[in-house]
Amino acid sequence: MDRSEINLESCAQEPIHIPGAIQPHGALIVLRPADLTVLQASRNAGAFFGADLRLGGPAPVILDPLNDDIRNWHESSEAVFQTDISDATLTAHRSGGLVILEVERSGTQTLGSLFARLRGFAQVLSTQADVAGSLAAAARFVHDLTGFDRVLVYKFDDDWNGHVVAEAGNGRLPSYLDLRFPAGDIPAQARALYAANRLRVIPDAAYEPVPIDADRELGTAGSPLDLSFSQLRSVSPVHLEYMHNMGTAASMSMSIIIDGRLWGLVACHSAQPHMVPVRVRDACDFIVQSLAMRIAAQVHSQDATRRVELARISGDLLRAMTSASSWSEGLETLPKDLVAQVGASGAAIIAQGECHKVGITPTDDEVRSIVGWLSGRADDDIFATTSLAADFPSAEAFAGEASGIIAIRLSELYENWLIWFRPEVIRTVQWAGDPHKIVQEKGRIHPRKSFQAWSENVRLHSQAWSEAELSAARDLRNAIVGIVLRKAEELGELTSELQRSNKELEAFSYSVSHDLRAPFRHIVGFAQLLTDRENSLDEKSRHYLRTISDSALAAGRLVDGLLNFSQLGRASITHKHVDMNKLVAEVVKSVILNQDDRAISWSIEPLPTAWGDATLLRQVWFNIIENAVKYSRHRNPSEIRVRGSVKGDVTTYSVSDNGVGFDMAYVGKLFGVFQRLQRAEDFEGTGIGLALVRRIVERHNGSITAHGEVDKGATFVFALPGPEKKGRALA
Amino acid sequence: MPELRPILLVEDSPRDLELTLAALEKCQLANEIVVARDGAEAIDYLFGTGIHEGRPSGDPTVVLLDLKLPKIDGLEVLERVKKDERLHHIPIVMLTSSREEQDLVRSYELGVNAFVVKPVEFKQFFKAIQDLGVFWALLNEPPPGYRAKDGG
Repeated sequence: MDRSEINLESCAQEPIHIPGAIQPHGALIVLRPADLTVLQASRNAGAFFGADLRLGGPAPVILDPLNDDIRNWHESSEAVFQTDISDATLTAHRSGGLVILEVERSGTQTLGSLFARLRGFAQVLSTQADVAGSLAAAARFVHDLTGFDRVLVYKFDDDWNGHVVAEAGNGRLPSYLDLRFPAGDIPAQARALYAANRLRVIPDAAYEPVPIDADRELGTAGSPLDLSFSQLRSVSPVHLEYMHNMGTAASMSMSIIIDGRLWGLVACHSAQPHMVPVRVRDACDFIVQSLAMRIAAQVHSQDATRRVELARISGDLLRAMTSASSWSEGLETLPKDLVAQVGASGAAIIAQGECHKVGITPTDDEVRSIVGWLSGRADDDIFATTSLAADFPSAEAFAGEASGIIAIRLSELYENWLIWFRPEVIRTVQWAGDPHKIVQEKGRIHPRKSFQAWSENVRLHSQAWSEAELSAARDLRNAIVGIVLRKAEELGELTSELQRSNKELEAFSYSVSHDLRAPFRHIVGFAQLLTDRENSLDEKSRHYLRTISDSALAAGRLVDGLLNFSQLGRASITHKHVDMNKLVAEVVKSVILNQDDRAISWSIEPLPTAWGDATLLRQVWFNIIENAVKYSRHRNPSEIRVRGSVKGDVTTYSVSDNGVGFDMAYVGKLFGVFQRLQRAEDFEGTGIGLALVRRIVERHNGSITAHGEVDKGATFVFALPGPEKKGRALA
Repeated sequence: MPELRPILLVEDSPRDLELTLAALEKCQLANEIVVARDGAEAIDYLFGTGIHEGRPSGDPTVVLLDLKLPKIDGLEVLERVKKDERLHHIPIVMLTSSREEQDLVRSYELGVNAFVVKPVEFKQFFKAIQDLGVFWALLNEPPPGYRAKDGG
């Protein structure tokens, strides 16, 4: 293969467990278990096993003392057999029904000294309070024990991206602490190998591979030798190129396996070739296994702590929501807990058209655009993504605040949402190492490029939401829905309470209309009967009787007006097209009935058709026009102008007069019940007419305004919405 | 001119009764005015039961019926009359202090012939009563088969 054509994809297809060669720092032979006949041997095997070694022959003489041990081991369930022969360490394992024997030179370190150091490590590890401390301690210890220039601890995330979480070194190689690697840097089949075989070593990346020869007749023709568990296995040329580009000549890596899953790696590198003897490697393997157990325990305890914390947060949020007047107000009082509930960096509460934000979030408009997009989707109650922009392209603009979201829908009827945000992961990552230091790096594949590749992979992505976080979001949603339901029940109770008191009020006004009106009628009636009967009464007595009668009459009218006003709140409005010209003509006719000696100059323009209740609108015209006539009675002639216009969905009408007018300072009082701007002796009236007018207009979803000038006149303008109009029409 | 049949005035308030009678008196109608002071008495009169058992037969020319009455209220009297095959053609005028829409609607549902809200102003009240008396007692022609007085 032309080296320049090597790429990482081809690496993923390489059968790296059956290379057919080994590294030269040891030798390998393959024996038939039944009679220990040599079936295969690395070409350098003679140097380790003795000159008598030959393919197809019996096990070499050097193994004679071990023959029984090897056979016994092979019958047992032990995975590996290991022993020392003179200055070498011999390791045996099974592969495809055969026995693979590997031999390496032993180091100088004694088991006793290694054991003492391991005991020290166990002690240090047990004092570490958290995972980070344990990782750092393990990195330091492996560095001390092996003498590699740099020891890194990688952690894999859920997507198999790597992250350097601890490092120890002597400064000869650049620091990679916090560096990220894309999942593709360690392909799936390499990860599978790492999970099965915990330790790999390459003492010299520039090694010449030693081929493995097979006996022509007895050799395993057709099925290549599986070297998955071999320690001498020759490695992929892509990996060697990678090492070369990283400026490393030697490496060793060990798998951290937790709960059967590859959690991470301890990776050791040196700038120069570096050999670590088998025993030291075994000690490192033991260190890493201890570390794995420690991490497992610490992760579990962190999980438990986190669960307790989440339960505390849920409890606090629930309490806040139930004690506040609405769930959203309750959540707003605990912004930190709200965000912590799912480990987000920000959150937005969208309720009753309001958008309330906490922490790091997109802008109001952007949040609303998300809501708009969410509500157009299928109606899941919970939506979670780590790349919003992938589903909703305009979210790319605010990926920095919201690449990941969890959104929970809180109402089927209204756009009520709770949304948590996580930023694009790249923005949360810092690479402590100075890229300019990595002078040794060259070629197409090296960590710097890996970092770029990783950055590209995670572009527009946030950190993943864990199952615990999603379930916390779900729990909160259920709690909110529960609270909303309970509030709805309370509201229901309140409504029936209101209906009851409304009924009471109705009964009250009913009895007022009967019982209060009658006495006034009686006073007026009997005063009149008395007047008619007593012809002898003097003028003064007649005046008194008239005053009694007038007062009772006024009070009676007042009761009528009030009842009218209160009934209007309850009466239903039937909307129809109403010919306002006709209504005004009728009203004018009835108003001038009692004003025959008045000079009134009417100017009535054609009026647009209105949309409303004819009876009620007639009342509006009557009250306004009657007012215009009343308050202009000192003019000769009175001038009254009625006009109308249409603008879009709104029709507007106005009545102007040249009467006494009013001071604009009191315009606010004009439409209030019992509010009068004129003295009773100047102009009679109950102070209910205009209040009634406003109530009618507002019940039509319209509005009314007034303009006046003292001694010049007044203009009343009211606007009514058409049948299509949504919302209030403004006069 | 139709024969003189009585006007039944059902009114519990003595003051209203006095005013109404004064008004009717001014019309100088020749019809007898029969007064019932509550709904039960009115029913007795109309159906010839209770204290009015065995009264001379013949239906009133019109019933002026107050809405709010002790024992049996005006609406119930109205309902019972209008549901009775023999009596349903008797004109009933509801005379009331109430402007309540629900009363108005209910009365028309039950088949009232007119619904008059007593005006506060005495002159108007007078005129209303007089108009009613004149209209129903003098001008209105009852349907054929109207039960007249015995021997009438």
